Amino acid sequence: MEQLIEQLKSQIIDALNFEDMTPADIDTDAPLFGEGLGLDSIDALELIMLMDREYGIKLADPKAGKAIFQSVRTMAEYIQANRTK
Amino acid sequence: MHIAITGIGTVSAIGMNCAETLQSLLSEHPGIGSMRQLGSVHTELPVGEVPYSNAELKRIAGVSEEPMPRTSLLGIIAAREALTMANRTCDAFISGTTVGGMDLTEQHWQDYSKGKATEKIRLHEAGESTNAIAKHLGHFAFIATPSTACSSSLNAIILGANLLRTGKAKAALVGGAESLSKFHLNGFNTLMILDHQPCRPFDAERNGLNLGEGAGYLVIESEEEAIARGATILGYIGGYANTCDAYHQTASSADGEGAFRAMQDAIQMSGLQPADIDYINAHGTATPNNDLSESVALLRLFGSRMPAVSSTKAFTGHTTSASGGIEAVVCLLAMQHGFVPANLNWSKTGEGLIVPITHTTRQPLKHVLCNAFGFGGNESSLVLSTEGIDLPKAEYTLGLSALCQSTTPDDSEVSKYISAAEGRRMTSQTRRIVVAARQVMEESGITMPDAIVCATQWGCMLQSMRFLQDMLDTDEQQLKPTPFIQSTHNTIASMIAIMTGNHGYNCTYAQGKQSYECAMADITTQMSLGLIRSALVLEFDEEVEVWDKVLTLIGDKTHAVARATLFVKKD
Repeated sequence: MEQLIEQLKSQIIDALNFEDMTPADIDTDAPLFGEGLGLDSIDALELIMLMDREYGIKLADPKAGKAIFQSVRTMAEYIQANRTK
Repeated sequence: MHIAITGIGTVSAIGMNCAETLQSLLSEHPGIGSMRQLGSVHTELPVGEVPYSNAELKRIAGVSEEPMPRTSLLGIIAAREALTMANRTCDAFISGTTVGGMDLTEQHWQDYSKGKATEKIRLHEAGESTNAIAKHLGHFAFIATPSTACSSSLNAIILGANLLRTGKAKAALVGGAESLSKFHLNGFNTLMILDHQPCRPFDAERNGLNLGEGAGYLVIESEEEAIARGATILGYIGGYANTCDAYHQTASSADGEGAFRAMQDAIQMSGLQPADIDYINAHGTATPNNDLSESVALLRLFGSRMPAVSSTKAFTGHTTSASGGIEAVVCLLAMQHGFVPANLNWSKTGEGLIVPITHTTRQPLKHVLCNAFGFGGNESSLVLSTEGIDLPKAEYTLGLSALCQSTTPDDSEVSKYISAAEGRRMTSQTRRIVVAARQVMEESGITMPDAIVCATQWGCMLQSMRFLQDMLDTDEQQLKPTPFIQSTHNTIASMIAIMTGNHGYNCTYAQGKQSYECAMADITTQMSLGLIRSALVLEFDEEVEVWDKVLTLIGDKTHAVARATLFVKKD
């Protein structure tokens, strides 16, 4: 799990173009939206695409992302349980 | 003066001309169906296609040259109908589009990306697709291509009216054309706002839009001239407004501020009250976000005295840049024949949503409001009337001065103004233009100019090419939304409005090397009319290696520019 979390942080930094950040700058349990990283709806779409591309998870309903993207940990847990690759 | 409409023409999934369109509207016969022409892998998505191949459209349009963007073919057919009906020539042709020749570019992208190209690469330019239409219609002294995504056509009508009011044009052919492209079908798909069923505008359970294609044009001239030459007057331009929601690149604000201002200002220009409006052809795309935001704006403006409202996008699909032109024609047909078009597929009231008219309803219509809203919060509204409405004329004067002009900022200035987090979605040239804009607003002391107008030849080319390459590499399967969102020509002007909270006039011109002249024609006519006193003019193009390489083959190149100038009206 820890390995997946680290990998996911790098993938998030890459997908969302946080050029000057490192995985160490992202708190695993901090909210991704609103406070914390302060992501928005476009980022949510990028994260949905990230899960599709890297883990073979397809989300049909963008609203479903809300619960999954609470934090890096919740996202990693969802990926662990649902990944197809 | 009274601005009379003496010709209309339209092509869409519900008809190849006005008569067919009227018939489809009256009989509630929608044009949304399975994809037959586009050739995308996403055949699961219903679309509102014009049911002819390009070869068939060429025959209908009487065009022999190869290649021709589908946008231009649709444009020629609709524009010719409008000119024939008006039975006159026009000296200005203003045609909105965003797709332009993207259908050809995506078809040949594999070659382009490998450095192979022929002359047809020029047709990628939005302005070239307009020129291709113009060439088949006659001579125009002035040609412009507003490109503000889904409000492009209404902005074309607005510029045309301003040209007439300042005597810069005697008659104008105004509207827009847009074909479907794999590019924007995939783009909207990455935003997850495409319904896999026929769309349901304003329904509680609406689940996104269906894309469509087509063209719609009006011929406008002074009532005086129309009467003198014995023309039939189909209606009048009553008022218009272009505002910016200044909220988000793709989403509408919860309070519908931009939409509210556009409708309010358009009605105010016409000298009417909200209660005088008989029918509203809503933007009504059927996305959860648009329909709620537009409903909020409608309820704010009209309260309990809501006129008849419908979205006709369940007939045509969302024809994006062409929608304002097509729907203005729909409004004029409805006014001529006395009916409210149906908002198809609606069944359930939702919280905060207006309740539309669900069946064709006979009703005389005197004053009608037509909405078209675009990415970047570019919101436009148009009032159409059966009676002449006085829109004051003004003598055209070039009475403006450049208060302050930027040079292209270097990288150290860029990092001073834009943090890494703020600039993370921007290309380096986008960062430069944003900084240039901030600098001239700061230096001139005009931090809230009345208008922001951008001139660009190729638009946001780098992001467009990223998306094209991703489409090729993943066979339209795994695409990142950000390059698409930032690929529209109006990205720059709307982004600056969003960053500075500017709700004023916002427009982008993509007319090749004449884009700057178009932007200046826009702001000088508005200043002459007293509609604006200050304007931020942006010149934007980026040098993109792959694109430059292919342009070199045809003896051209991109000219990178990121310059901002603040103009003020001279007293």
